[in-house]
Amino acid sequence: MAIVELQNVCKAYGAKIAVDNLSFRIEPGTMFGLLGPNGSGKTSTIRMMIGITVPDSGTIQLFGKPFDRNVLKRVGYLPEERGLYKKMKVMDQLVFLGQLHGLDAITASKRAHAWCERLQITEAIHKKTEDLSKGMQQKIQFISTLLHEPDLIIMDEPFSGLDPVNATLLIDTLVDLRKSGKTILFSTHRMDQVEKMCDQIALIHQSKLVLAGSMREIKSQYPRNRVQMNVTGDMSFLQHPSIESYKDYSGHVEIKLRSEHGVEPDAQALLADAIAHGSHISRFEVTEPTLEEIFIETVGTVSETNPTGGSLDA
Amino acid sequence: MHNVWLIAKREYFERIRTKSFLLMTIAIPLLMGGGILGGAMVGHKTQSNSHIAVVSTDLQMATDLQNELEHGKHTKMVVDIISPPGADTRKVLDGELADKQLDGYLWITPASNSHVRPRFLWTPKSRADIVTRGAISEALRTVMTTETLTHQGMDKSDVQLLMKPVELDSSQAGKNDDSESAFFSAYVLFFLMYFVIMLYGMNVARSIIEEKTSRIFEVLLATIRPEEMMAGKVIGVGSVGLTQVGIWLLTAILLTSTSLVAQATGSNFHVPLTAMQIVFFVVFFLLGYLLYSSIAAALGAMTNSEQELQQLNMFLVMPLALCMFSLSFVIPNPDGAAATAISFIPFCTPLIMYMRISMGHPSWLQIGASILLMIATIYAVLWLASRIYRVGILMYGKKPNLPEILRWLKYS
Repeated sequence: MAIVELQNVCKAYGAKIAVDNLSFRIEPGTMFGLLGPNGSGKTSTIRMMIGITVPDSGTIQLFGKPFDRNVLKRVGYLPEERGLYKKMKVMDQLVFLGQLHGLDAITASKRAHAWCERLQITEAIHKKTEDLSKGMQQKIQFISTLLHEPDLIIMDEPFSGLDPVNATLLIDTLVDLRKSGKTILFSTHRMDQVEKMCDQIALIHQSKLVLAGSMREIKSQYPRNRVQMNVTGDMSFLQHPSIESYKDYSGHVEIKLRSEHGVEPDAQALLADAIAHGSHISRFEVTEPTLEEIFIETVGTVSETNPTGGSLDA
Repeated sequence: MHNVWLIAKREYFERIRTKSFLLMTIAIPLLMGGGILGGAMVGHKTQSNSHIAVVSTDLQMATDLQNELEHGKHTKMVVDIISPPGADTRKVLDGELADKQLDGYLWITPASNSHVRPRFLWTPKSRADIVTRGAISEALRTVMTTETLTHQGMDKSDVQLLMKPVELDSSQAGKNDDSESAFFSAYVLFFLMYFVIMLYGMNVARSIIEEKTSRIFEVLLATIRPEEMMAGKVIGVGSVGLTQVGIWLLTAILLTSTSLVAQATGSNFHVPLTAMQIVFFVVFFLLGYLLYSSIAAALGAMTNSEQELQQLNMFLVMPLALCMFSLSFVIPNPDGAAATAISFIPFCTPLIMYMRISMGHPSWLQIGASILLMIATIYAVLWLASRIYRVGILMYGKKPNLPEILRWLKYS
C-alpha cells in the first residue's frame, strides 16, 4: 500500500496551470524528495495532498484511501511560509496546535517539552514567540509539525532560511524519524542539498513531472562521465578531445566527458595528458552527474524566474 | 465542532487579556457617563444670564421687559433701563460693549402711531449669543401681547392666566411613565450596538489579516476546514464583544439602581431598562454582529493589509450609516411606513427593529418575520463569505478584482 498516491492530478488557477497531469506514489518508510525550481508547482501539489485545495481532475489517495479529513490526524505539515501566533507563549502555542491535531492538553504539553529538549530550545519555552530568533521560531514550527507523531510528515521547503547547524539538526532528526518507520515527503528547489538523503524523488518542471523513481535507479541510468579536478599550473589539457565541456572555477574544474550511448568513458587518458602537460593535480575524481545536472540535461534549461506573480503558489 | 471551540477559545482569551480590552471596558463607560453628566449640567445652564441695557422713551414697556427678563422662567438677566436716552447714550453703550461690561443693548424706537409696532434694534456683544437673543425676542412678544390686551380693557389677572404656558402631559399610557429617559436609554443602546458591531466586525477582519500576514493559517488549514476557522473566529471575537457589553450593561444597571447617577446630576434621572429591552438587545446584537462579522471575514480574506481593508470598509460602514440616517424617520414615528420598511432591510434590521421595539409597538408578527429574514440573510452571507474566505485566505499578492471574486464562489 502506498502512503501517498497521485494519479493524473491537474490543477489550474484561472488561466495559469499549476499542476499538469501529475502521478507518483510514495512507499511507506521512504524519504521522498519533491524537487523542482521555484514556481514549478510543488506547493500546489502539497496543498492538494492535504486537502487545502482540491484537484480539478485526477485522484489523490492517502494511506490507500481516497482523501478524507480524518486522515489529517496522521499527517504532519510544515508549510513553506512559516507562521506562528506572535503574541502567544511558546508552550501555549504548541499545546494549542497539538490540540488541533487531536491531542489532549496534557499529552501535548509533555511531548512539547520532550521535543524542546531534543532540539535544545528549553530556554524558549516560557517566552513569547515574537521574542525568539528566527531560527528558534523555525524549530518551534518544526516541533508543532511532529507533536502528534504523524505517520506521514510533509515539509515544504524545510531547509530554506536555516543556518547550516540547524539544517544538519533537522536532517538528522528526519533521518531518525525515517528509521522509526515514518514516511517523509519534502520539497526543495536546492537539489544539491538532498542528493544524499532521498530514497526516492519526483522532479517537476513547469507543472509537469519530468523524472521520478528511486535515487539509485535514476543515477544508474546516467554514465559516470563527470570529472571533478583541483588543479593548478598548465591548463592546456582542457583541450583534450575526450572533453565535451568544462567549467573552470579558478583551481576547481568540472569536466563533462564525451560518452556515446551510455558507455562509460575512460578518464585515464585525460589524467595522463594533464600529468604530461605538467599540471599540478591535488584531486581527480570521476563521478556520476549530480541531480542538478541530470535535471538540466532533462529539461534543457532551468528557468530561475518565478512566473507566479501574485498567484496562489507563493 | 471541537476545532471551532478551540479556535474560539484561543481568540477569546488572547483578546480578553490585552490591555486595550481593559482600557476600552473602563474608558468607554467613563466617556459616555462623562458625556451624559456633562450634557445634564450644560442643560441646566442653557439659560441666559447676560447683562443688557434697554433704551426706550416708553418707561412702562421697558419696565415690563425688565420684569420679564429678570424674573422669567428661563432667564435670569440683569437689565438696566435708560429712559429717556440722552444724546450720548449710544456712544456710552458702545463703549461699555467694547469694555465687555455689557452683553448687548436693545434700542426701542416708539411707533409714530398705534397701528405700527415700535422698532427694536438689538446690538449684541457677540452675534453668536443666540440664547440671549431668543430670550429677548420671547420676552418682547409677551410684553407686547400683554400690553395690547391690557390696552383693550382686559383684566390684568385674566391676561396672566392667558399667557401661562400650556403644560403637555407626555407620559405614554401603559408603556412607560418616563418616556424621556426611555427614549434616552434606547438611544444609548442603539449607539452601543452600532459601535460594538462595527468595532468587533472590524476586529474579525483584522484578526484574519493578521493570520494572513503571519501565515499561521496554513498550519491551521492542514487540520481544520476554513469554515471552522471562520466560525471559530467569529464566535471568539463576538464573545469578547458580548463580554464587554455585558460588563457595561451590568455596571449601568447597578449604577442607576443605586441612583448614583441621580445624585450626581441632581435630577430625577434613571435608566429604565425593561427585561424585554435587554433580551431584544442581546438577540439583535447577536444577529447584527453575525451578519456584519461574516461580511468582515470575507473582506479580511480578500485583502492583504489593513490599508487595503480600509478601502473596503465602506461595505461595513455604509449600511450602518444608513441606519443612522434613517433614525430621523424612525424616531418621530417608529410604527410608520418608512420605519417599518427600513426595519425589514436585513442590514438595518438589528439596529432599526430594536429601536422600533424600544420606542414603538411593532407587532410580534413583524418582529418574528424580521428575525427570520435576518437569519436567512445571515445564512446566505455566511455561505458566500466562507467561499470567499476559503480561496481568499490562500491568496497573497495582488488584490482580487470582482470577476475573480465571482470565480472564487464557484470553487468548491
